Amino acid sequence: MIRVINAVLAIVGGVGAALLLYYVLNKVVEGLPGKWEDRIKPYVFIGPAVLAIGLYLLYPAVRTIILSFANAQSTAWVGLENYTDLLGSRDFQITLINTLLWIAIVPAVTVAFGLGIAVLADRLGPQAEKLTKSTIFLPMAISGVGAATIWRFIYETRPKGEPQIGLQNAIITLFGFDPVAWLQLDTLRVNSFLLMIILIWAQAGFSMVLLSAAVKGVPEETLEAARIDGANERQIFFRVIVPQIWGTVITVFITVLIVVLKIFDIVYVMTNGNFNTDVIAVRFFNELFRSGDNGRAAAIVVMLMIAVLPVVIYQVRHFRAEEAAR
Amino acid sequence: MRWRKFVQGIALAAVVALSASACLSESGGGGGGGGGASGSGDKQVEILFGFGGDQSKGFQAGLKDFQQSSGITIKFSEASQSFDTIVRTRVQGNNLPDIALFPQPGVLLDIAKGGKVQDLTTLLNIDQLKSTLVPGELDAATSDGKVYGVPMSMNVKSLVWYPKKAFEAKGYTIPKTVAELEALTNKIKADGTPPWCVGIESAAATGWPATDWIEEFVLRYGGPETYDKWTKHEIPFTDPVVKQAATEFEKLALADGNVFGGRKGVVSNAFATAANPMFQDPPKCFLHRQGNFITQKGFFPDKVRTNLDTDVGVFQLPGTSPDSRPVLGGGDLAGAFSKDDDTKKVLEFITSDKFNGGTKEGSYISPHKTFDLAQYPDNTTKEIAKLAYESTIFRFDGSDLMPGAVGAGSFWRGMTAWISGQKDLDQTLKDIDQSWPS
Repeated sequence: MIRVINAVLAIVGGVGAALLLYYVLNKVVEGLPGKWEDRIKPYVFIGPAVLAIGLYLLYPAVRTIILSFANAQSTAWVGLENYTDLLGSRDFQITLINTLLWIAIVPAVTVAFGLGIAVLADRLGPQAEKLTKSTIFLPMAISGVGAATIWRFIYETRPKGEPQIGLQNAIITLFGFDPVAWLQLDTLRVNSFLLMIILIWAQAGFSMVLLSAAVKGVPEETLEAARIDGANERQIFFRVIVPQIWGTVITVFITVLIVVLKIFDIVYVMTNGNFNTDVIAVRFFNELFRSGDNGRAAAIVVMLMIAVLPVVIYQVRHFRAEEAAR
Repeated sequence: MRWRKFVQGIALAAVVALSASACLSESGGGGGGGGGASGSGDKQVEILFGFGGDQSKGFQAGLKDFQQSSGITIKFSEASQSFDTIVRTRVQGNNLPDIALFPQPGVLLDIAKGGKVQDLTTLLNIDQLKSTLVPGELDAATSDGKVYGVPMSMNVKSLVWYPKKAFEAKGYTIPKTVAELEALTNKIKADGTPPWCVGIESAAATGWPATDWIEEFVLRYGGPETYDKWTKHEIPFTDPVVKQAATEFEKLALADGNVFGGRKGVVSNAFATAANPMFQDPPKCFLHRQGNFITQKGFFPDKVRTNLDTDVGVFQLPGTSPDSRPVLGGGDLAGAFSKDDDTKKVLEFITSDKFNGGTKEGSYISPHKTFDLAQYPDNTTKEIAKLAYESTIFRFDGSDLMPGAVGAGSFWRGMTAWISGQKDLDQTLKDIDQSWPS
């Protein structure tokens, strides 16, 4: 109870104090001679926000980069050792390859699925369209851990002769096959693909909703014009619809890509990175919280940051270009 | 005039900013700290521990009378999902419990390097504890003459369970040596049943039951001195004795036809229920090596648990000769983050032979040889406790002694990868060896 009161007090007090601070600062600046008031005022309002971002975002980022050159307890410098050790170990190389596979496959497939469903659902009757879309959107409401738990029951395996409670094994044993330990199937990374399916399943709804809106926004006249000019359906789709919704496609692609770069919960719950399914974020978690190695964990995060950076820069540029075109 | 107003304003702004930050930090401290490690005389002690279910209930029941008689309120913080990550996070965030019960001395020693764990030689009478404790339990968390952890409970791991009635009906006998165990394994296999049930799946901790197997055989083939060197990394993981141990494990319980569900099944079977096919009729397997905690609720089937003495047999995993019978075990070690009188009193109580942390509910075994055996609820538990109390060679679970990066990391993962077939044994041992923190 005391905690609740404390929390309420902190929120009320914090918000109140922030308001008061801005009010007082405003008063102060108004007290300045006219020219100075105009010069300083913007900074008075933007300043606290910049400070907050600096304190909560930039400072930790810089600190992470610094610590990535230090040892496990952050007590001595080790130079590039964390990076060379990681990049030289076969386990981490597998982790990187897996992360690349996730990047290469999941965003593209999610966009393709979402677009396909959006276009096909567009041709259904209004009731059927609603039903289809709601069903596909449903997994969006499930957390990563929840989704992974559901899918554990799909891939679950029991020894031969025991009742199979996993869906896939229940089906294949029905046809007389032996149960398969799905999550241990690392030949050709099958198990990693099985994990990717979960994320695609969870993200397809998001992709579909945005793309569906975009598809519906394509002006009917352009489609009619194409039909009059004798274009077939495929040409209409690829040459008329897709170019007009390209901006949305990129946005969806990048949003999913960022989700994929940070993917943690699904892999952690399903395999914890065992059986050659490790990805960067899980490896980071294990280095920091299981091994207690600050240096390596920081080095992994820095590598992740470097990987995300180009995507973010592209996203910002793309956004600016879109804004400028408007 | 205007400038004067400006200066006044600045002063006011400073006051507001200061009071705002002061208010925030105050409530932050109060909300986050929760009174933990705060200071003396508040009659509050927080204990953080990693076991759940009936073990947790038993532990809390064991402290009920103590709380009333001493007037100390104990806050039980259960972190049964992943104790090691939670305790690390709390230590990093300086949100310290007063006492934490570490199942892994290696993790405790890791954290002690940060200087926040109390040296218990100043809080407890170590010599007196030493005289009644099972030897080896106290050494586990001792470093440079400083004792960072004292056992609150113990578990015994060198146990092989079998379905008593079916086992006896088949005319099998209890093996006295590893060679006899191999012979028994082959006999059961020849009779048409896979001899062993093994499961190493344990969510994020998958792999740990396999590390116990390796430790058992390193202790048996290498002897206690080599075992100690191995857990301290004075001999490498690639040492022949480790390979010999792993090969013995493979030969006994991983070979084709030796294990129910096959080698891949070993990795996907949950450790808690892996033994249960043993109690079907006819049994799907006859042997299961696991610690005494496997008898608790939710692990062994309920109908077996209620008839433990008649339905379940247990023997000590044999040594290389009938006379050599080392015992591998573990336990929860109490470490302290504060050193006020309340903490001291609680520590003294839970590490004494008077403490009963739930023999009825949670398969608790006291680490004290002087503990009253009559408190154990059944003969099976009594026999297991006696095994440990009378053992000449007792060693703490090796993976728990190793640094977290190995003992709760690469060793688990390595065993999983090896059994599942991602790596061969040599590669596995090499990778584990390289992961040892310098």
